[in-house]
Formats: sequence, C-alpha cells, structure tokens
Amino acid sequence: MSIAFIQQTLPLLLRGTSITLQIALCSSLIGFILGTILGFLHSSSSKIAQFFVTVYVTLFRGTPMIIQIPFFYYLLPSIGIELSLITTAIIAIGLNSGAYISQTIRSGIASVGKGQREAAKVLGLSPWQTIRFIVFPQAIRIVIPALLNEMITLIKDSSLASTIGVVELFKEGTIIISRTYNAIPVYCLIALIYLTLTGIVSIFAHYIQSRINRHVNH
Amino acid sequence: MLTIKNLSKKFQNKIVLNEINLSVAKGEIAVLLGQSGVGKSTLLRVLSDLETPDSGQIILNGKVLNLNTANQDHLVGMIFQHFNLFEHLTVEQNITLALTEVAHKTKVEAKKIAQTLLKQYGLDTFANASINKLSGGQKQRLAIARTLALNPQILCADEPTSALDPLLTNYVAQTLQELARQGLIVLIASHDVALVNALDCTIYLMQQGSIVEATTSKKLREHPENYPQLNAFMQGKN
Repeated sequence: MSIAFIQQTLPLLLRGTSITLQIALCSSLIGFILGTILGFLHSSSSKIAQFFVTVYVTLFRGTPMIIQIPFFYYLLPSIGIELSLITTAIIAIGLNSGAYISQTIRSGIASVGKGQREAAKVLGLSPWQTIRFIVFPQAIRIVIPALLNEMITLIKDSSLASTIGVVELFKEGTIIISRTYNAIPVYCLIALIYLTLTGIVSIFAHYIQSRINRHVNH
Repeated sequence: MLTIKNLSKKFQNKIVLNEINLSVAKGEIAVLLGQSGVGKSTLLRVLSDLETPDSGQIILNGKVLNLNTANQDHLVGMIFQHFNLFEHLTVEQNITLALTEVAHKTKVEAKKIAQTLLKQYGLDTFANASINKLSGGQKQRLAIARTLALNPQILCADEPTSALDPLLTNYVAQTLQELARQGLIVLIASHDVALVNALDCTIYLMQQGSIVEATTSKKLREHPENYPQLNAFMQGKN
C-alpha cells in the first residue's frame, strides 16, 4: 500500500465516513427514543401495549436488516413518502435498533426494585413523576454500557445502507475497488476507520462506566 | 384520631386481614405485633395505598380517608423495612424531591427543610453524599427524615428495627416515641419484642390476619397474666 494510494483514497473514504457517522448517530437517536418508549410500554401493566411491543420486537429482531432496509426503500414511496436514501436508511436502521434497545431498557426497568416505586408512590409522586425521577434515571445508568454497545453495532450495520445505494464508508470503498482493482489496501483502510470509530465509542463507554461507578461509590 | 373499621383483605383465597378494628389517637403509638405473615405489614400497606382493601373503612379525624389521594395529601408517611431510599440521589435530594415535585416547594424552601431535618437527625455532613455511604442506622434516620419532611399525620413504620443492629433498637424507639409526642399517629408493624418493651404504646397481637389480643404496654407490664397470648409472645413462647 503506497502512501500515494492512501493520499488518493483516504479523502474519499473519509467522505463516506461522515455519511456512516450521520447514519449511526441519527439511527441511534431514533432507536434510543423509540426503544425507551417501547421499553416502558413493555414494562407497563397494559396487555395490549405488551402485545404490540412483542409483535414489533419479534418482527424487527426476527428478520435481517439487509431485508428491512430495501423493504422501507420500496415501501415508503409506495405510500407517498418520498425521502432521501440516507433518511430512508436512517429510519429503517433506527426502527430496527429501537426493537433491540426496547429490550435493553426493559431489562433496566426490571432491575429497579419494586421498593423504589413504592417509596415514590407513598411520597405522593405520580406514575409519570416516578418514571421521570426514579425509574428512568436508575434504569438508564444500568443500561448505558449496553446502549453504547448497540451504538458500536449500528456503526458497523450502517454499511447495510449501501444495499439501497447510500454511499457511506463501505460503499465508497467498493467504488474505489471497482476503479482501482486494489481490494486489500482499501478493505484494510475501511476496517481501520471502522475500528477507530468503534474504538472511540468503546473508550467513551469505559469512561461513562467509570463515572457511574465513581458516583455510586461517592 | 385514626379509626380502622372492619378492614379485610384477601390475596387470592388467603385471608390476610380479617375484620380489623382499631383506633389510634393523635400522639399515640400502636404496635401490630406478631410473627411474619400474619398481616401486620399488609395493614400498613393498605394505609399507604400500596394495597387495596376488599372491605372496611379507614377514618381520620371523623372523615373517611380516600386512600387514592392520601399520599398526594401527605396524610400517611411510611418507613419501609429496607428503607427504600432512592439510590441514585444524594442524601439531601432524597428529602427534597417530593418537597419540590409533590408539595410544590421552591428549591430554596425544600433545601432549607432538608437541611433542618438532616441536622436534627445528625446527617448534615452527608447532605451531598450517596446513599451507599450511609450505615444502616443512618439510612433509617434518613428514611424517617424523608417521611417527616412532608408533615404526615400518620406515620407507619414497617419492621423498623429488623434491618438494624440490635443496639439501635432503643434509639429507634426513642425517636418514634418523640414523634408521637409531637402529635403524630404512629403505627408500627414489628415482631421485635425489644422494640415493644422500649415503647409506651398500645399493642395489638395479630394471628392469621386477625387481632387476637390488645392492651397497652403499661397494662401488659403490670398484669401480664391477663393477656396470656401477648405475654407468651413477649416471652418468646409463641
């Protein structure tokens, strides 16, 4: 791998990286908001809500994302919703992530002791205040490492957006390979960029975990 | 005056409270004494709206208590067996949360109330500390302070000494006695004979969801022969 080749391809790969990051960050946000709502619905006493979440989670976890992304690519225009390729990919990946995150949030909620809710009730906090001030802050601390792991997964899964033509990091790499027939160096560079991104999130996850531990022991 | 009339509660087919009748005046302590599973805690949980009774009435100062709103009105305070302090909040925040969010005090007012209570219970140096830094006795005091911050009329304490070193029993007894003296109606569920011995109270012996014997601690001390079941329990023969 020559320096000249790296100098030539790296700017293109970094352009793809910015799209990869956009997809990962935006779909993480959608996944987190949706997953939190679904997680609380799944933990509620409403059988209808539990059923709805179970169906949703079964559908999204039981089918591969490589099918889900093209499915939304064809579905959305057919119902009159015209979105850019990136937005379509973000929505599909976000909806998929929401299914996984809902179960993470649900396990976090379950780990908050019943006594905490009872104490809140006796103090007069409403069910919403109990979620906001007692259950959610405790559950989120428990599941932050799992949520950051999900973000690492999303950074890697964002490459599946290429199936509908989004030119993100992986797709940018395959375009370069098709032009240069120099596959191994390009794949090495792509892998290195993914590793750097996931490494940064891992370090951040480690930092957050140590902050939580420090707070608990403060 | 708190009056409980014909209060009953079943869990599936098991009767846990069977036609409970009792009255506790302002400034008095009622101890629900008995083995585990006789319904003592359930009675306190009904008062705190953590369980719904199947039948019966709870009357406070001549008015039937609406259990659904009693917590919002801060009529009943509960000290849990394992304290149930909010582990993600600091010592001070455990007190201020309900003051600001439920009692609608300003942050400054809530902080002032919390600081006064923390000082009163010897916890002022822990105001910004995590709950995990507190000993069992300190957690107990914080649980009391958190409850008192809302000025309840009725204070329920579920097994207040069971999670504590036996040496702290007298301290807890003195604290609860003092709170009764200040005008609170105090109900305690306990099987701790040492706690009962340290209190000036009315004792209700419970068995299988019913009150089987009741008297004041003074009468029991003076004429134990008149209360054979209570006396047997206090002697550890029950």
